[in-house]
Amino acid sequence: MVDSFWEAKINEMEKSFKKNTDYERWKKDTLSEWNKKTGYTEKEYTNSSYMKIKELYTKEDLPKDFDKELGYPGEYPYTRGVYPNMHRGRLWTMRMFSGFGTPDDTNKRLKYLIKNGETGLSIAFDMPTLYGYDCDNNRSAGEVGKCGVNVSSLYDMERIFDGIDLSKISTSMTINAPAAILTAMYFVLAEKKNIDLKKISGTVQADILKEYIAQKEWMYPPEAHLRLIRDMLTYSTENVPKWNYISVSGYHIREAGSSAVQELAFTLADGFYYIDIGIDAGLKVDDFAPRMSFFFNSSINFFEEIAKFRAARRIWATVLKEKYGAKNPRSMQLKFHTQTSGYTLTWQQPLNNIIRTTIEAMAAVFGGTQSLHTNSYDEAWALPTDEAVKVALRTQQIIAEESGIGDVIDSLGGSYYLERLTSEIEEEAYKYFSEIEKLGGILNAVKKGYIQKEIAETSYKKQLRIENMEDIIVGVNKYIEKDEKPINILKIEDIAEHNQIRKLKEIKNKRDAKKVRESLDRLRIAMEDENINLMPYIMDCVRNYATIEEISNVGREIFGEWKESKIY
Amino acid sequence: MNGKNRKYIEKPIKILLAKPAIDGHDRGIFVLARAFRDAGMEVIYAGLLPTPEEVVETAVNEDVDVIALSLLNGAHMTAFKNVMNILNKRGIKDIAVVGGGIIPDRDKPKLEKMGITGNFGPGTKLSTIIEHVKKRAGEIRKLRENEYK
Amino acid sequence: MNINDLVRGILNGDKRSIARAISIVENSDDEQRKNIIDKIYDYGNSKIIGITGPPGVGKSTIIGNIAPMLSKSGKISILAVDPASPFSGGSILGNRIRMQENLSKYDIYMRSTSNRLYEGGLSEYSWDIIKILEASGSDFIIVETVGSGQSDIDIMNVADLTCVILAPGLGDEIQAVKSGMMEIGDVFIMNKMDREDAYISIKDIMESLQISNKPNTPVIGLNSLTLDNYESFIDFILKWNGKNTERRNIRKIRQIIIERIFTTYSVYIESVDKNKLLGKNPYDIADDIMRNLDGLKNKYLEK
Repeated sequence: MVDSFWEAKINEMEKSFKKNTDYERWKKDTLSEWNKKTGYTEKEYTNSSYMKIKELYTKEDLPKDFDKELGYPGEYPYTRGVYPNMHRGRLWTMRMFSGFGTPDDTNKRLKYLIKNGETGLSIAFDMPTLYGYDCDNNRSAGEVGKCGVNVSSLYDMERIFDGIDLSKISTSMTINAPAAILTAMYFVLAEKKNIDLKKISGTVQADILKEYIAQKEWMYPPEAHLRLIRDMLTYSTENVPKWNYISVSGYHIREAGSSAVQELAFTLADGFYYIDIGIDAGLKVDDFAPRMSFFFNSSINFFEEIAKFRAARRIWATVLKEKYGAKNPRSMQLKFHTQTSGYTLTWQQPLNNIIRTTIEAMAAVFGGTQSLHTNSYDEAWALPTDEAVKVALRTQQIIAEESGIGDVIDSLGGSYYLERLTSEIEEEAYKYFSEIEKLGGILNAVKKGYIQKEIAETSYKKQLRIENMEDIIVGVNKYIEKDEKPINILKIEDIAEHNQIRKLKEIKNKRDAKKVRESLDRLRIAMEDENINLMPYIMDCVRNYATIEEISNVGREIFGEWKESKIY
Repeated sequence: MNGKNRKYIEKPIKILLAKPAIDGHDRGIFVLARAFRDAGMEVIYAGLLPTPEEVVETAVNEDVDVIALSLLNGAHMTAFKNVMNILNKRGIKDIAVVGGGIIPDRDKPKLEKMGITGNFGPGTKLSTIIEHVKKRAGEIRKLRENEYK
Repeated sequence: MNINDLVRGILNGDKRSIARAISIVENSDDEQRKNIIDKIYDYGNSKIIGITGPPGVGKSTIIGNIAPMLSKSGKISILAVDPASPFSGGSILGNRIRMQENLSKYDIYMRSTSNRLYEGGLSEYSWDIIKILEASGSDFIIVETVGSGQSDIDIMNVADLTCVILAPGLGDEIQAVKSGMMEIGDVFIMNKMDREDAYISIKDIMESLQISNKPNTPVIGLNSLTLDNYESFIDFILKWNGKNTERRNIRKIRQIIIERIFTTYSVYIESVDKNKLLGKNPYDIADDIMRNLDGLKNKYLEK
């Protein structure tokens, strides 16, 4: 029975923890005596997940089957890393999330980053694009190019990637609700540049479940978006083998206020759901699971984050093997991109953010990440300047090439604390999986607002802890400086919006209106039939320079729009 | 048998929380909703992506004392102004408007001039925000006092 | 603006006047409430539809769906009640989320209120608010209760038609619902008919109705994703002609009297000198207060 899978896991883990008699003795004989003598009153330490942290961990804290649970790098259950030689063989990809203003502005920034040693591209889109509106929609007013680059039609993609060889560099696109449209644009762009689709590589985020959970950028009801994910999954499995059709993301769940455990549990629960979708679409798990990738947050509690990454790998491998019957090792290997936490950046004393980002980036590297974005120190103020983004990239380069952290694989493995924490986080995640199952699965749990409420509660608790000085944030509630001097920030001129609108008008005049209409009509008919894969139809619309809003509106018409659940 | 709950002699402040643009960052809104509730207020949250018209319509129908606008996406100058324009056009003067989000210093005087006060940035203490809302709501209540006696 | 303008506004269906009048009713005293109600009492004739049921069954979604359909047959107003926090007295009123879009589209007035810790699923002044909505020319007033399950039974005293919403998969909650809510429903709605276990749940409800001696109470299944079978629910609402005015007014009379008595005596209760209370039986003190208001000052009150 499915239910019992999670419960069985929890039982198994509970049993694997031993009673630590030596530690109890030390605590009584030595520690308490010392504390008494020095007048130290014991207080409770917790991490972001409100797990109790002891003052000392010993050999007895390791699980009973420690050797098996740990394994070797590149071997099941991949606790120590998915590759045998990890960062020795290949450094993580340094992928800086960027995009702002017009496509031309962004093109310039991408080239600047490549020149400075960036090894992968990552595109940030503005709010109108993320919600599937064109730049000339009334609702887009004031938002074009503000939080990312604006893309209204294929023309904008052509500008962004002008002079960049798509067969040489991989591209990650943070786009979700209109993911199928942006994916189609990227594929068509490659076609137009005469690059074989089998040669292009990259990732599209496309993780809609976490949108309902955390980032709240959706267009249609969940069922419609999930169908589009199925279509991307099956289309790229067949035609674009190096394309990661989904990046299951915990990043936004964490930024929305969750704990590390909640980030891990909800993200993996989403991941399992996408596996179910692929299987329901008639694919074998080993056909599509290897191309599923993940995206996590790295926050400021150093050991908790490293443990989270290690637990993620172990859970994914175990569940894919035991529950889904995966045989291909690549299906069991959880590969992930990491971004340092935006939430921990402070508006106050912004230079301190460089240190925070460094600690978080180190946790990601210790945790065995495959690629990394480091935030810039000025991002609590605005999108980063050239200068700030360079410091962020240099941070990664210093970790990679000066610190020696990546020289040894999983170098903190074996730390009593880290190993214990990894196991405990793993168990907490299994408890959430079991709870989610009781609520009728992740989709129901999201529709009911359960997941959103869990996150909101954690976030509120955190805020109260900061207000009460139980959690310290340097420069915000301690070591406060009275006169914060404004720093130099990137200002997106409103001219970007005007230029985009003007360009869009030109494109609309130039394109073949009849072809646009016909391809949109064909898409509409295809949408009505659940069994049709929409990707070729969307690509057809894109080719004719149909805009992101025109294509999205066909879906809005057929599927309807979505309003969030009430959580309070 | 129900008895009257005397707690409510104080007439709770009614506040509308809104993000009047396409901006899904709602962590802060939920923290504020909880904080205002825990400060004894009645909080209306009408969901994401309202148009400025919907914000004003909701404020009027719910007869709130205060509208709290928040945006983290840099569109505050456009979106907040839209809300103010509609309020002004409808001749509504007895609803206070407070703002917050990532608002650069240079924008704050402009917002104040439009009648939007507070304009709290990241890291502001909840108690500071609550105090400000109470002060503004107090002004509004004074304005409305005895209006219909 | 004075009270007569306000009343004129209500009778003309002006939303700002309606909204302000509701605030006055919620926040002011008995006298001011009476003043407004006196002037509007004779106006309007609405069908009051109560929507109740445990959390998570889709009450807001159903209201969001039926409101536009009903608006073909008349003017709609909605009153939604949310619970107050027992600690602060504050509340988060989130019922508009799912309805916002249709409100403006179909010109529906909706008001969210806190129950202000009043028990039973409504608020103390729900009657007055409904009266205002009625006078504003509403043909249908949809009242959504707090939705805490078995204790939400006050709606039967207020609505002309009480609809109990249920959904499959409630688990243990269904038992709690049965113990309280089977008695109050004029109709039972099984939402989420797309779920496999929906038919079993319907059968279960029908059996419970047998046991509760209400075998003829209708049970309607709905699918809120596809809007399947909504027309039978709408049809049922339109055909329903039961009125509940007497019960509604008796509830209100009881509240007015309790409030007046309380207002009269509360000042004495609040200001009884705590030192003089020691060792005294509260029954005796209450007797004293109610028997003899004038003589109290010397006996219990602080100087």
